[in-house]
Amino acid sequence: MSSPSPDRSSSEERFTESSGRSAPLAHMIFNAAMAVLFAALFLRAGELPSSMWEPLGASSFPRLVLALLILINLAIVAKEWRAFAARSAAERGLVGRWAWRHRLAFGVLGLFALFIFAVPWLGFAWAALVFLMLGQWLLGARSLKGLIIALAVALVFSFGVETLFREVFVISLPRGLFG
Amino acid sequence: MDALFSGMEQLFTLGTMLTMLLGVVAGVIASAIPGFTITMAIVLTLPLTFTLPPLQGIATMLAVYVGGYTGGLISAALLGIPGTPSSVATTFDAFPMARAGQPGRALSLGVWASFFGALISTVVLIIAAPPLAMIAVKLGAWEYFSLIIFAMTVVASLVGKSILKGLLTGLLGLFIATVGTDPMMGVPRFTFDTDLLANGFPFLVVLIGIFAVSQLLQEVEDAEAVKHGKALIPANVSFRPLEGLREVLIHPVNLVRSSLVGVFIGAVPGAGGSIANLLAYDQAKRASKTSETFGTGNPEGVVASESGNSATSGGGLIPMIALGIPGSAVDAVLMASLMVHGIGVGPRLILDHGDLVYGMFMAMLVAAFMVLAVCLVSMRLFLRVTDVPRSVIVPVVLVCCVVGAFALNNRVTDIYLLLGIGIFGYVLSKLDYPLAPLVLGVILGPIAETNLRRALMSDENWTLFFTRPISLGLLIFAAISILLAIRHHRRQKASKAIYPPSP
Repeated sequence: MSSPSPDRSSSEERFTESSGRSAPLAHMIFNAAMAVLFAALFLRAGELPSSMWEPLGASSFPRLVLALLILINLAIVAKEWRAFAARSAAERGLVGRWAWRHRLAFGVLGLFALFIFAVPWLGFAWAALVFLMLGQWLLGARSLKGLIIALAVALVFSFGVETLFREVFVISLPRGLFG
Repeated sequence: MDALFSGMEQLFTLGTMLTMLLGVVAGVIASAIPGFTITMAIVLTLPLTFTLPPLQGIATMLAVYVGGYTGGLISAALLGIPGTPSSVATTFDAFPMARAGQPGRALSLGVWASFFGALISTVVLIIAAPPLAMIAVKLGAWEYFSLIIFAMTVVASLVGKSILKGLLTGLLGLFIATVGTDPMMGVPRFTFDTDLLANGFPFLVVLIGIFAVSQLLQEVEDAEAVKHGKALIPANVSFRPLEGLREVLIHPVNLVRSSLVGVFIGAVPGAGGSIANLLAYDQAKRASKTSETFGTGNPEGVVASESGNSATSGGGLIPMIALGIPGSAVDAVLMASLMVHGIGVGPRLILDHGDLVYGMFMAMLVAAFMVLAVCLVSMRLFLRVTDVPRSVIVPVVLVCCVVGAFALNNRVTDIYLLLGIGIFGYVLSKLDYPLAPLVLGVILGPIAETNLRRALMSDENWTLFFTRPISLGLLIFAAISILLAIRHHRRQKASKAIYPPSP
């Protein structure tokens, strides 16, 4: 598992060993895209106004950071290129197998995105209720008992949370078109 | 002495003790929920204290404050998600420790470290408030910038195996912090005339997106484990507080050093727990004889982070009580609560309202003991979280994240940002980028830029950074810190070359 921890990236070696050129290729695409994006932002930052009484102005600090970001991204691309050239191609179907292995994560992410976009329309409570039910079903709550527990959890963390915030904290969560 | 006894008399009443206890429980629970910060808990408590007598009101809020610093530990250790920005470094070692089947040990260490951190900071607050406050306010823009440069050297400890990747995410954090309104001129930067980016990336939204969303998605990658209803952490609810106490006390230097880092950073207006825990962790890692095990469940890392962040609670009160300057957003709310009661906060506070100030000192001590008692009693209950299957906990925590992101500013656009940052954080973690430097960059970026520009605005002479004594001292510390990090990396490389890891 990769995580915020500084020393928890040991999966890198294992992954790169087994994935042939895929890992360096993924890095090269990602870092090259970042370098292009930051170069465009660097140019845009040049349009920011300067100030009469302030030597640095609004653009200097972000441009300094963006310049360093461009350099580091290019350095990573160069480093990964060497790794790419030194390795043989990965076996066919690797990407498909990787995507299949991550199907639940992508499923949850898709549901989460739908939930977030539904909040302004359905309101927090209804959107959360549907998300919690579907999310728990997707992750394995399929039996009758599991579904009853899922419904109870969904009600508490959707309508229950909305009521708590409205009545106790006087914060109105989005009510949506039906609110 | 009269003021002290008068303060104690007002504090030790049944009503005050009861509202403080409720405050402690509320602080611990609120901070344990990812997306809910101590500031939010305090802000929500403020209106409830309006009708209370001044000392009871402020003591209740201090109880929330002290409880909040400990509560962040719970989700950091059990879910790998920092409950508050102050517990980012706690995830580094407490979560791997919990994952290795010792969640009770991680919580026990954290609870005791938090208790001693709060205790040490209160003692320092009582003894050294006026002199420390005088040092803190002598820091001009040059010293602030140099202090941030020193804090940035922490990145060297957070980069993991690839320095380039660590630097990249650190700089990414600095860049993210520049999006939105320019802090000096007020012009929009990189907002592309959209409502979405008009207010920039709120720090809390970045924190939740980067840590919580990406972490939760990783939790459901293993389809087999999820299908079989496995919990996040192997079930083991043993919680042995005395063992935790012993383990904390066998590293007294680490405990005291981390607490003092917390007190000092807390006393510097604008810094706070979110920086203190990372700095304390960094110092502990550098000083440790087993630094190579940091990040894998080293108890010293848990102790450093938790004592460091809890110690900022006392530190933050130093400039507030001595000079009327709030050290953080939480202190500003505390000041507001005093003002609501008609008490002017400033250098004369201790002279005009000595009983109140001594009552606050005592309230800090009482709150620290209450937090300890509440945590020792309730931790077994919190450990039950480890029994909850991922199918329940992942969607529920995601909903909490959305509520936290929205409730911060009541903006729907913030939850769109949460989604975007969450996806970006997930991509970064899949490509093995360390995420902690990014968060550090977002915290330090605005302070660094504002003070650099402010310094040069008042005097364009760059050499002032090197000629003002405190600024020079901090820059020397930063240089030493970098040199030590380089030496550490070289030694590690050399030892790997001599003793290559077994396959």
